[in-house]
Amino acid sequence: MMLERALDLTSGMMALAFIQQSLEHLRPAVRPQERLLFAPRLVLSILLLAASLGAQLPGLTPGMLTLALVINHLLILPFFNGPYNGGADRMGLLILLCLTAAFNLPHVGALASGPWRELAFGYLGAQLLLSYFMSGWVKVVNPDWRNGQALRDVFLFSAYPAGENIRRWAENPRLLLAMGWAVMGFELAFPLAFLTRPTLLAGLAIAALFHGANACLFGLNRFFWIWICAYPAILWLQERLLG
Amino acid sequence: MFPFTGLRLLFPAIMPSWRFFDAVSASPRLDYALLPAPEAEAGPWHAFCPRPAVLSLGTMLRRLFWNPQWNETLFLVSLSERLMHGVSPETVAHSQRELLLRVARHLDREGLAYRGDCLQIRLRLVTREVTREVTREENGGEIIYLSAPCSINGLLSA
Repeated sequence: MMLERALDLTSGMMALAFIQQSLEHLRPAVRPQERLLFAPRLVLSILLLAASLGAQLPGLTPGMLTLALVINHLLILPFFNGPYNGGADRMGLLILLCLTAAFNLPHVGALASGPWRELAFGYLGAQLLLSYFMSGWVKVVNPDWRNGQALRDVFLFSAYPAGENIRRWAENPRLLLAMGWAVMGFELAFPLAFLTRPTLLAGLAIAALFHGANACLFGLNRFFWIWICAYPAILWLQERLLG
Repeated sequence: MFPFTGLRLLFPAIMPSWRFFDAVSASPRLDYALLPAPEAEAGPWHAFCPRPAVLSLGTMLRRLFWNPQWNETLFLVSLSERLMHGVSPETVAHSQRELLLRVARHLDREGLAYRGDCLQIRLRLVTREVTREVTREENGGEIIYLSAPCSINGLLSA
């Protein structure tokens, strides 16, 4: 995959995720101040989506649009005093910052795509890989995760189960022990999947299913959409380094 | 002040820790009570936005695309945790204000409160032991925060 195509794919997918998030913030229930922050985000995201699909917008390049979105986020973050949706927002910001750098850094050096632009986009792919590995590592070093207690606690009393019927999964310790090890095993093995194209594709498919399950059980829909936005970056990085 | 506060909050996104669910600690629950007057005694307490007894597969799939209420509930959990940890007076003040504002707006929207009422909120800390010992979860847990009564009218016009 060429760098420009991977950038367009990532920016288009991110724009779609931002549109979905922004619409949630524009529903009638929210405060007027919140709408004032998310209406521009919606417009900028729609324009970025159009640009990623090849539309010619007079005077508006993807670089300018991503930069405008960064400025928009410099107002949104203080409003919520941090991320609104924890890790999902952090990943969204990381994607946005990497795209902003990749679109705006100058074309210098011997490579047609520009080494600084490649570095910025490659950083996103590397962070995606780390996101899985580090999540697995911090769990496997915790005895409560190794004996299944931690995942039982997630279902038993954490704020995440989205229904009382889901909370009752805590009554199946053997199932949760197996699920916990399946998650840790997958997350720790993810860097190995990076070594070949077929294993990376399989790894990303499993990861998407994992995010889908989290969205269904814990209502983490934003994690699902924003994480898959970074997939073109890791696919491009794998091809660039090992292809 | 723009843009420095935003830049300070943006910085952790550049080098995330990715420490998801590294440990499962005690979890805050948000309750509210309505008072006819500021000096009246609070009660009864109600769990704010309790989970449905049964979440169907259809609802789960729909929420994949449209889930604003639950995402706001997760933000309230974040605010509660920030209030618990109290890293700075500004953070505590922001969390208190946002919790009261969002609860008041929700109750008003759903017709669960009169605008002349006063609102009081509290945070309960729920642990593994509490959940096992108390069959009705809404009665269990250590109270770690209790707000002052606030006029709903005042909160809605803020």
